[in-house]
Amino acid sequence: MKNILDRNQNKAEEVRSLLKARKVMMINIISSPGAGKTTLLERTCELMSGEVSIGVIEGDVTTDRDAQRLKKYNIPIVAINTEGGCHLDSHSIFKAIEHFDLDAIDLLFVENVGNLICPSQFDLGETFKLAVVSTAEGDDKPAKYPMLFSEARAVILNKTDLIPYTNFNMDSFMADITAINPRITIIKTSAIRGEGLEKWSVWLRTQLEQFSAG
Amino acid sequence: MHELRIAEDLAAMVEGYAAEAGLTKVEKINVSFGQFIQIVPDLFVAAFSEAARDTVAAGAELDIEIIPAELRCLHCGSGYRPAGDLCACGICGSKEIALIHGKELFVKSIEGE
Repeated sequence: MKNILDRNQNKAEEVRSLLKARKVMMINIISSPGAGKTTLLERTCELMSGEVSIGVIEGDVTTDRDAQRLKKYNIPIVAINTEGGCHLDSHSIFKAIEHFDLDAIDLLFVENVGNLICPSQFDLGETFKLAVVSTAEGDDKPAKYPMLFSEARAVILNKTDLIPYTNFNMDSFMADITAINPRITIIKTSAIRGEGLEKWSVWLRTQLEQFSAG
Repeated sequence: MHELRIAEDLAAMVEGYAAEAGLTKVEKINVSFGQFIQIVPDLFVAAFSEAARDTVAAGAELDIEIIPAELRCLHCGSGYRPAGDLCACGICGSKEIALIHGKELFVKSIEGE
C-alpha cells in the first residue's frame, strides 16, 4: 500500500524541516475566490511591519494582481502563476522559497489559489493552514467543505460588516464549524473596515512565539 | 481539477512498479480512496487514462475501492462511523474526535504481464 500523494508529501516534509531549521513559520491560507485573503494580508502587513519580518508566496491562476497589491509594503514576494492549475503543491513551494533570504523572514504567508477543495488536498510543508471565509458566501461552507475546516488551525470569518445584507446565520456557522473541528480558533473580522484585526494580530503573535519556542 | 495532478503522480508510480516487477503491460490498478478524500471517481478515471496514455499503463482498468470513514472518540474511546460529515461521538457526545479512516489515497496493487 503506497500513498499516491507520497511525492507531494515527501517534498512537503523537506520544506517543513528546511523552514524549521531557518525559524520561518509558514501559513497556508485557503479560501474561495474573493473571501478577502489579499486584503487580510494587506492589513497584516500594516499592523505588523517593523515588528515581524513578513514574506509572501502568491499563488495566482493567470495574473500577478495580488502580488502587485502587496508591493507597496516593501516585503519579499514570490508569485507562482499556476497557469490554470487549481492549487499549489509542495514542489512549487520548494522552488519559490529558494528566492527568499530565509534568515531575514519570520513569517511566510502562502496565498493559495482561491478554491476550497483542491488546495486542502496538498500539504505544502506549512506550519498550519488558515481558512478564510466571508459572510457573503453563506454560513454553510464549513459543512459543505469539511476537509479544509477539519485541518485548519484557525478560520477567519471575514466581511462581518455585510451580515445585515445577507442571510448569514452565525449560530449555524458556529455550530457546524465546532462540530467539524472543536479545536479551531475562530476570528471574526471585517478586514476592509479594520474590525477584529487586533484579535487576529494577537493570535498570530502567540502562534509565532509558540513556533519559535517549540 | 486536482484529479489530473494526482492521476499524473499515480501514473508515474505505476510506471515505477511495473519496471520493478518487469511488467511490459499493466492491465489493472487497484486503488483505495477514503470517503473524505475529495476526488470525483469518474473524473479521476478520465484523468488517469489521459495521464497514462503513453505509459505501460495505457488503457489499464482502474478499480477504485472507497474506504468508509471511521472516527474514534478521544474522550470515551468508542469507535464509530459518522452518518454524514465529521460528527460528535454517538456514545458520549464528545466533539474531541480523531479520524481513523477516511483520508486514504493508496495504490493497493497492479496487475499485468
